[in-house]
Amino acid sequence: MSADLSSTSLEFVFTCPLSAGMHARPASHFAKLANSFVSESTLTNLRNQREGNAKSVLSIISLDIREGDRCLVQIHGADEEFGYTALHDFAEQLLPTVDVPLAQSLPLNSSVPRILQHTAVKCYSGSAASPGIGRGKVVFLNSVALPQAAVAHHRSDPREELERLERAIRKVRENIREELARSGSQPTRDVLQAELALIDDVVFAQKLAEHVNQEKSAAQSVIETGNFFSDLLRHSDSAYIRERAADVEEISAQLLAEISGETLPKAATALREPAVVVAETLAPQQFLALDRRFLKGIVLEYSGAYSHALILARSYGVPAVVGIKHTNSLLSTGQEVVLDANRGLLFPEVSPEVERFYAREERTRLRQKAILQASASGPAITRDRITLEVGANASADGEVVLAFENGADGIGLFRTEMLFMNGRPPSEEEQLAVYERVLKSAKGKTVIIRTFDLGGDKAAPYLELPVEENPFLGLRGVRLYAEHRDLLQVQLRAILRASAFGRVQVMVPMVSGLEDILAFKEQLKKAKEDLRAQDIAFCQDVSIGIMLEVPAAAFNLRQFATEVDFFSIGTNDLAQYFFAADRGNPNVSKVSNPSNPSFIRFLSHIIEEVRAAGKWIGVCGDMASHDKYVPLFVGLGLDEISLPLEHIPKIKGTVRRLSAAACRSLVDQILLSDNASAVDDLLASAEQTCSSSPLASEELMMLESDSNSKEEVIQEFIDLLYNSGRTSDPQTLEDALWARESVYSTGLGFGFATPHCKTDAINASSIVVLKLSAPIDWGSVDGAGVRMVIGIAMRATQNGDSHMQVFSVLARKLMMEDFRTRLLQTPNPPELMRYLTQELKLTLT
Amino acid sequence: MRIIAVTACPTGIAHTYMAAARLETVAKNFGHDIKVETQGAMGIENKLTDSDIRQAQVAIFAVDIEIEERERFNGVNIIQVPLQEALKNPEGIFRKLQH
Repeated sequence: MSADLSSTSLEFVFTCPLSAGMHARPASHFAKLANSFVSESTLTNLRNQREGNAKSVLSIISLDIREGDRCLVQIHGADEEFGYTALHDFAEQLLPTVDVPLAQSLPLNSSVPRILQHTAVKCYSGSAASPGIGRGKVVFLNSVALPQAAVAHHRSDPREELERLERAIRKVRENIREELARSGSQPTRDVLQAELALIDDVVFAQKLAEHVNQEKSAAQSVIETGNFFSDLLRHSDSAYIRERAADVEEISAQLLAEISGETLPKAATALREPAVVVAETLAPQQFLALDRRFLKGIVLEYSGAYSHALILARSYGVPAVVGIKHTNSLLSTGQEVVLDANRGLLFPEVSPEVERFYAREERTRLRQKAILQASASGPAITRDRITLEVGANASADGEVVLAFENGADGIGLFRTEMLFMNGRPPSEEEQLAVYERVLKSAKGKTVIIRTFDLGGDKAAPYLELPVEENPFLGLRGVRLYAEHRDLLQVQLRAILRASAFGRVQVMVPMVSGLEDILAFKEQLKKAKEDLRAQDIAFCQDVSIGIMLEVPAAAFNLRQFATEVDFFSIGTNDLAQYFFAADRGNPNVSKVSNPSNPSFIRFLSHIIEEVRAAGKWIGVCGDMASHDKYVPLFVGLGLDEISLPLEHIPKIKGTVRRLSAAACRSLVDQILLSDNASAVDDLLASAEQTCSSSPLASEELMMLESDSNSKEEVIQEFIDLLYNSGRTSDPQTLEDALWARESVYSTGLGFGFATPHCKTDAINASSIVVLKLSAPIDWGSVDGAGVRMVIGIAMRATQNGDSHMQVFSVLARKLMMEDFRTRLLQTPNPPELMRYLTQELKLTLT
Repeated sequence: MRIIAVTACPTGIAHTYMAAARLETVAKNFGHDIKVETQGAMGIENKLTDSDIRQAQVAIFAVDIEIEERERFNGVNIIQVPLQEALKNPEGIFRKLQH
């Protein structure tokens, strides 16, 4: 970048680091800052030479700034130096961090489920935009649109028109603020903030005023201004910015409605029963106005993945499909439809086949949920009896309740920063109330509370932190405690008092040297003495631990071990400091890859040292939530991993399939690897080398199947494998099974069928058993209906032929009448399991 | 009668072995002496030796795919049927042999 001081203005150049370009959110940050000083400021995109007012969001986003574009900022005026510093620091430091990953472009249309392909059901296909399945009656909603031409509002006195305009702006702004005050969800707030930024936009206001001054009516000015900007945005190269044209139109329509005293289409439709709303396009305010108790789905003719309405639909879990055209002629009001937004399909008639298909899908989903819940409870123990505690990371007491419902063995990390970010420090009583609720819902399980980790990206204005060149390398975590003893005392007293309600442990962030922990213990001692003096109850021996995130700490472990009780590795910060690569900077995100063998050797060193000292060690970073690293953690010999609550059931299932001994051999190989991709290959092979699932299992047996066609049986076959975690690619599995059926039917006569396939879409070779309530046609050799299905899914690449041996025995036995009769007569899965184990000489590990 | 047979199906997981079991059972019912080679996912099993082949009066190939090492059977009286035939109507195959 260059900053040269010319006689007329201050200027600098920066490169846009944002993958989605300078979209509405970063632009509104930029404009807000530019409005904080009086000097004029302009922004020029050096790629297309477009110049705009840096104080206007609209102006900035219409410059079409994309990732990698070089941009010139010029500031001119009385406080230009202040303006220069503010914008320059923002562009260099904060801009890269305001980007949020946006939804990728919408997936391509997918096909109608095989079960429904043979029926004559009508179906329209679009793109799946927000997942889920909904059923309801069609309600059409008119889109908010701006008239292209003038409306018949006679203009009066320009001053009156201007007043009218300003009144409308105030009213619309007020409406948005009210909405904002009511809404709790972050995506909704983001969307409303973006609307607020539009209505407050200086260039938008200028343009409106210009039109009125040219003797146009207020309404006419709004139409022309709205159309001007929406055209400008619509021609952007960025899909995200094109979507913003709809936002401009909505705001303009709201203004127009205020001016004319008319109501918007949103107010005209109230939902009174389960509904699928159909519209050409949908504005965010329209979405928010819909009664979500009855909103079962949304169908839009036109919309991109980035539209605010879709962002909202996803955040509220409302299924949405876009891209179905001519809905007016395809559907009529009140018609009952089923919307499959997982596949991007709309069924305009709820035929018995459609009804049955989706009822079965729902049943499968519920079964899967039940299986995950079952997997969540109980400890995670490997096949060779090694236990790995699986805890949850949490920042709010509500999350803690959910974490235990999801099977958390404890709270491995309770963050407290949020309590400190409300503009003032939280009182002892406020903190106590939160910690007490957390400990009570833990019901005797351990909760590790991390003392406040402010600084870095988490500023609290009352701390009056100095402006630092590198906040992540500056005053954060424990480094702030000496300056802010009072804050720490309040927090320690609250934690100690809460210790009367359950098992609490205290963890200190950003520790690098022994002096950090000695000073901390001094403070803890003081808090305890004060409480004792006041006769307040607390647990006398609360454990203390260190969050390992500064590499230096990893070489002080023996010293620490004499002072503390436990350690927890924060992999995110540890990796960022270990690799000297900012984790928020996309240019170096590849550098700080935790699969890098250097990092794993580092982890191994830490864990060995801590174990040698006989202390407890866990991992609470991002890395812990990835299934692929579980064999690594087991092999490294960790006591615990702590992760976001939604991953717990799956991770526990993974641990239970592993052999710790095999994981240790895997780690030996990993430690000798040359690079991250070699490590990833080894981790990918762990599914075969460290994990095992028995060939047959009760969870793969369904002895009361109501499937009534070959298609339904195959679907159920796949669902059983999917729900037991044996395939993550059901589509390929389905294709492989049908490819085999297309050669010739696997109906072998005697009422038996043996669908089978050989594919790597299956993780572990499996035998699936289905007993059907009523015989179905399978095109069998003897023409008889099939009553029993013995399915085989074999992994294509696997070690040894032991599974194949079993399959060949099974195939031969199926030719024996005695064997078939026993299978048909065995009443329940446990007995069937015993019989198969004996007949096929199955090993149960 | 001394009979030899080869079974082989497209995936080699199930039908190869089913057909082998079926041919063995039905041959016994007809009073024949049979040895069946399977060519499935585990490769060739119960392989027919040169002496097996020399002593056999007839070879039954119940196969859906090209078999391995077919040259071993040069000069042998071969009856080839689709594998499904061995499941659908194995008796029919043996009846044909008697004519």
